[in-house]
Amino acid sequence: MTDSLTRRTLLRYGAYGAGAAALAGTAASWDRLTGADIPGRDDGSLVVATLGPAYGPEAVRTLTEGFKEVHPDIKLRINAVQAVDWSDFFAKILTQIAAGTAPDLVYVATEGVQLFAQRLGVPLDDWVKRDAGELREYFSDVHPSLVESMMYEGSLYQLPVEFNAADMYLNNQVLKRAGADFPAADWTRDDFTGLLRDMKKSSGSQFTPYFWTNRLWGGVVPWLFANDTNLLSESKAPGGGWLWDSFYPAAARQGRGGGFRWTTPQATDARVEEAYDYLASLIQEGLCTRPEGGNGQNLIGVFSTGRVGVTPAGGFWAGGLHLAGMKADGFDVQYFPRWRTQRMQYGAAGYALLRTSKRQEEAWEFIKYAARKDTLTRLFETNQTTPARRSMLTADRYRETGPNHWQVFYDTLDKFPNTGPIPAPPQVAEVEQVLLKHTGTALASRRSVAPALRRMQSDLEKAMERDV
Amino acid sequence: MTNTQIPAVRPPQPATPPAPAPRTAARDRGSRLLATLFLAPTIVGIVVFTVVPIIGSVVLSLFHWNVIDEPSFAGAANYGEVFTDSTVLVSFRNTLVFMVFAVALQLVVALVLALAVNGRMPVWLRSVFRSAFFFPLVLSAASISVVMKYLFNQDFGVVNWVLGLVGVAPVPWLTSENAAMATVILVYVWQQFGFSFLLFVGGLNNIPKEIHEAASLDGATGLRKHLNVTLPLLSPTLLVASVVGIINALQVFEQPYVLTNGGPGDATRTVVMVIYESAFEQLRFGEASAVGVLLFVLIMAVTALQFRLSRRFVHYQ
Repeated sequence: MTDSLTRRTLLRYGAYGAGAAALAGTAASWDRLTGADIPGRDDGSLVVATLGPAYGPEAVRTLTEGFKEVHPDIKLRINAVQAVDWSDFFAKILTQIAAGTAPDLVYVATEGVQLFAQRLGVPLDDWVKRDAGELREYFSDVHPSLVESMMYEGSLYQLPVEFNAADMYLNNQVLKRAGADFPAADWTRDDFTGLLRDMKKSSGSQFTPYFWTNRLWGGVVPWLFANDTNLLSESKAPGGGWLWDSFYPAAARQGRGGGFRWTTPQATDARVEEAYDYLASLIQEGLCTRPEGGNGQNLIGVFSTGRVGVTPAGGFWAGGLHLAGMKADGFDVQYFPRWRTQRMQYGAAGYALLRTSKRQEEAWEFIKYAARKDTLTRLFETNQTTPARRSMLTADRYRETGPNHWQVFYDTLDKFPNTGPIPAPPQVAEVEQVLLKHTGTALASRRSVAPALRRMQSDLEKAMERDV
Repeated sequence: MTNTQIPAVRPPQPATPPAPAPRTAARDRGSRLLATLFLAPTIVGIVVFTVVPIIGSVVLSLFHWNVIDEPSFAGAANYGEVFTDSTVLVSFRNTLVFMVFAVALQLVVALVLALAVNGRMPVWLRSVFRSAFFFPLVLSAASISVVMKYLFNQDFGVVNWVLGLVGVAPVPWLTSENAAMATVILVYVWQQFGFSFLLFVGGLNNIPKEIHEAASLDGATGLRKHLNVTLPLLSPTLLVASVVGIINALQVFEQPYVLTNGGPGDATRTVVMVIYESAFEQLRFGEASAVGVLLFVLIMAVTALQFRLSRRFVHYQ
């Protein structure tokens, strides 16, 4: 009896094992199944992934219908990915790539330009050279620094369509309450501190003169730039002459290269420490908020109601404040104050073409279409960002939303040629996380600045050593 | 019904029962097949959505994979990195601290409120309280956290504004290393205690009134009655509530992610946040999977320990 059962059991388990081995063998011999294998998933459309909150249904319709008029033969699908910030957006795009449903084009900001260029993107050089005649008007209208920020190791990966420089927004009502004049274009860090003190004196306890959000764009970095330093050492890659020589006059191509390189961490640099010390002193004095993570979503409310006097923001805020009900003369914008320099920082964005795309020619047509002036005019009519095309910044555009000194947005590039992009190497995700983490602890008190920066330096070195 | 009809001593039974009729065996096989068919959807669901991903995570933890390139075998290297990465180690410490305080507070608040609601009060008022306490649980944790972030803002939040009215200086609820974890725990407990509350209300209703009456007759009152009668009889419910509470707390993500993004510094960074950041922000899926496997082992170990300890402390009626 026992023998018979054992034999039967053995036979049964043998059959199970053979079945499992057959299944495993079959699975192993198949190509990896991906989301694209789902019947009906790939309908032959050119798929463009955009940042959802910046591309509402109206923007998606504008892009789709306009493109259809120009290219009726190319089926287009805009995939507006909902995300809190660029980091969250890239995470979702990478998830799509992992699932085998990579889009053809991805809207990528400075934060992701080098990551996408290094690992996923296709250089646009050959297409740009081929369609040079068609693109001459575009490049003549776009500042070379924005174009350079989209280059990586000598090749161009995106045509910038928008940018935002960190300028200073001022609440006019708070200025008036403090009896202060609108600051001059060449105001200094000390002028800025004096203004914050005046604002504090003239306002109640529920008022904080300066608000900032702890993030890569618009956080500590503008102060580092103003103090003539950076989180990572900055240099230019060689190359890029093919573009500068073809599209820009000699004066504009002066000092241009093949894109930015951010390499050695320098968090313990004396000027970095000086910038942190300055911010810590503002916090101690009650002139500035403690750094809070996030996307500054609660800022519009407190600024528009006069509980904040000054904050760094880009052209995108003109539309945001208008939507929040602020009148055009309720606020204004000025350059970031001068410290050792008046170099300012910006982030730009455009469409990156993915290597996995099977519709690269169609994708290139979309990239050109998206950079056209008529497309951008329709897309950015609510001033939710700063157009990359200089000619689009007009008094007419800002009449309804403000600010009065709207020229500041593009002059940040035109009048300050050393203005540059935020430091965003391919390891940007980890670099940003390290920056945010240690900025939070560094600014707890003035004594905690140096130890926190030493830890930041160590973590940045580890992050930069990693291969993405 | 006479004695003759019922033998005083049962006749000896055969040593082995007779073999079942072939018809019965066939019926058994049919029943088993039917049971298997009924269970199949659940089993398939568990295999596809639980077992396979767990095995997948274990396998992935042995590889370096950045989504873009082909995975490369790494052996135990990812585990080695995890054990030397200070952020990961801090996240485990934070998660354990969070678990201890959040679960303890959640159980105490839920129990006290359940006892209060189970006391004498109109039925309609009891319903109002039950719904009110359970309501936060059905809301999205991310939405609640966004609202709480506004409320606890140091400079512009309502909480500090109210405290300011009574002369309290602004508290850095979310921006100080000491206060941030406490705030995250408070927000989490506020949302989660409703589940334990419902369990306790159900458990209290299952305790026979006679036992309380008997205890009262023996002179037990108030706190003593709860400690010596209610708590022991409620211990099976306490076990369930603590097991579920601990498993949930060890996997906390939304509240610290939205409220503090793990900061200031790493003060509120939890294990699941590290898994998310490693995988989806830094493209280190192998290392993220290794952390996930370690968390899985930790949850299993803690749960097993709870069940082992329950033999001493849990009393079934």
